[in-house]
Amino acid sequence: MTYWAINAFFLAAVALVALAAVVKARSVRTAADPRRSDTGPRWSTVGLAAIALLITTAVFDNVMIGIGLVAYNPDLISGAFVGIAPLEDFAYAIAAVVLLPSLWHLLPARGSRPSTGTGPSTGTGPSTGTRPSTGSGTAGAPGPSTDSGTAGGPRA
Amino acid sequence: MGLLYLAALLVSLTGMVVLDRRFRLYFWADARRAAVVSVVGVVFFVVWDLFGIGLGIFFRGETAFMTGLQVAPELPLEELFFLALLVYVTMNLYGAFGRLLVPAVTKRGVGA
Repeated sequence: MTYWAINAFFLAAVALVALAAVVKARSVRTAADPRRSDTGPRWSTVGLAAIALLITTAVFDNVMIGIGLVAYNPDLISGAFVGIAPLEDFAYAIAAVVLLPSLWHLLPARGSRPSTGTGPSTGTGPSTGTRPSTGSGTAGAPGPSTDSGTAGGPRA
Repeated sequence: MGLLYLAALLVSLTGMVVLDRRFRLYFWADARRAAVVSVVGVVFFVVWDLFGIGLGIFFRGETAFMTGLQVAPELPLEELFFLALLVYVTMNLYGAFGRLLVPAVTKRGVGA
């Protein structure tokens, strides 16, 4: 089985998850305000993220292969390359940028009860649109906002 | 035992955490959802990797840059951190670009 064949299988799974996210967003949209634009994956955002991710993948993958971190069976890849990176490798980036935002929107947002819709990207707030900005907001936001420095990296 | 690649990945992941915390992009936007998306995402890509390895499509290179530790045959320890980085970069990008596009969308919504 070739690299493209296995990619097709996993990309199909990604497409199913994306479809589920679109269907869910549509049902929410018809149930509530049809003009709401924050219920499903925003594909313009996905497109921009995809461009950035494909560029970084091209750089990173060429370095990884160049210094010998990974190698490929030449009989099982198509022979199309970006530099020295097999074109098939970019399927990971495409899958990530479609699958992960779709999963994000399939999951219920923080504080699913529509009380005080904070949440920067997925406001499940009341359908009265955006509130006027009162000062610098985030009064009761449970987000960690400690400024006491010394937040070192994750302890591996 | 080379730590260079693992160290590079950890530095990169730390950068993602810093950006996330500063701009509230992913875990700092919704920690519970971010945790679920990250775990599911990494597991999905590990399974993809295992199929690729099992079918003999790609394999670990012999290099001095990696620890040599393997979590499965031909699956280096570093790959888990690479996949975590892929997930984190993707969702930080999605959060950041979403933030950039939201004002335009809102403006259109109000104006219409």
